[in-house]
Amino acid sequence: MYKTIKIEDVVRVPPHRFGEPLKEVIEDILRHGYEYKGGVVGGYEGLLDRDLGVILAVTDVESIEEGRIIPNDGASYHKTVFNAIVFKPELHEVLDCEVVDVVEFGAFVRFGPIDGLVHVSQIADDYISYDEKRAALIGKTTNKVLEVGDRVRARIVAMSASPEGQREGKINLTMRQANLGKFEWIAEEKKKKEEKAPKEKKGEKKEKEVKDEA
Amino acid sequence: MKLTRFEKAKIVGARALQISMGAPILIKVPDDIIDPIDIAIKELEAGVVPITVRRKPPKKREEIPMDRGKSK
Repeated sequence: MYKTIKIEDVVRVPPHRFGEPLKEVIEDILRHGYEYKGGVVGGYEGLLDRDLGVILAVTDVESIEEGRIIPNDGASYHKTVFNAIVFKPELHEVLDCEVVDVVEFGAFVRFGPIDGLVHVSQIADDYISYDEKRAALIGKTTNKVLEVGDRVRARIVAMSASPEGQREGKINLTMRQANLGKFEWIAEEKKKKEEKAPKEKKGEKKEKEVKDEA
Repeated sequence: MKLTRFEKAKIVGARALQISMGAPILIKVPDDIIDPIDIAIKELEAGVVPITVRRKPPKKREEIPMDRGKSK
């Protein structure tokens, strides 16, 4: 799920940037971090937080407090409140994804900034076999084909926590539920239902008539 | 209100550190002055240092008479 969140943090503004407009400097530091010992540290964009999810963008800085000077450092520290867009996958969430890789044991799908796995057993209600030459998963009786680039709708069924500092843990999805799967399959299912629907309506009417007589 | 000599020392120290770390200088100084401490002192004398002092008001003194420590 995508969310906008409000974050409060203290930003360190190094002295060599005192001449620039404060708001712009703080926005830049929040987005891209700052240089430290030859590398870049901090920076919220692209950051993965266990509780918040993936921080995609810092949209705007809401408030900046007066800077404070701390002993032994020439920089000023500003308490800042800003808004950010985050993406956090939730258990049982239904997502539209793109198939990015098809392997023997399933399909890797991409949603937002994260990849997940749909296991072969969770692709469809069918016996699924792997076609090595096409790099595709094929259903035996339904002839459903899943290839790289296909758009699918899937539900998250399991998430395993990742060790600190690592990329997001494994996310498993399923497409073996109503209205899940490749978009084409969903459309087909809908058509089938619509064809069946009128008959069902007649059946309902009959029942009502029977009730009236009673 | 006048700054105390301690506040002056602290401000000069903090400002000199900023200047040494690349902060822009706010007054014109002759080319032969290159010591950040000298520049910071000149800035303070010119009254352009962008620092404010937050003074903590002294805590109220309480007088405790000696007879309170008397053993009963």
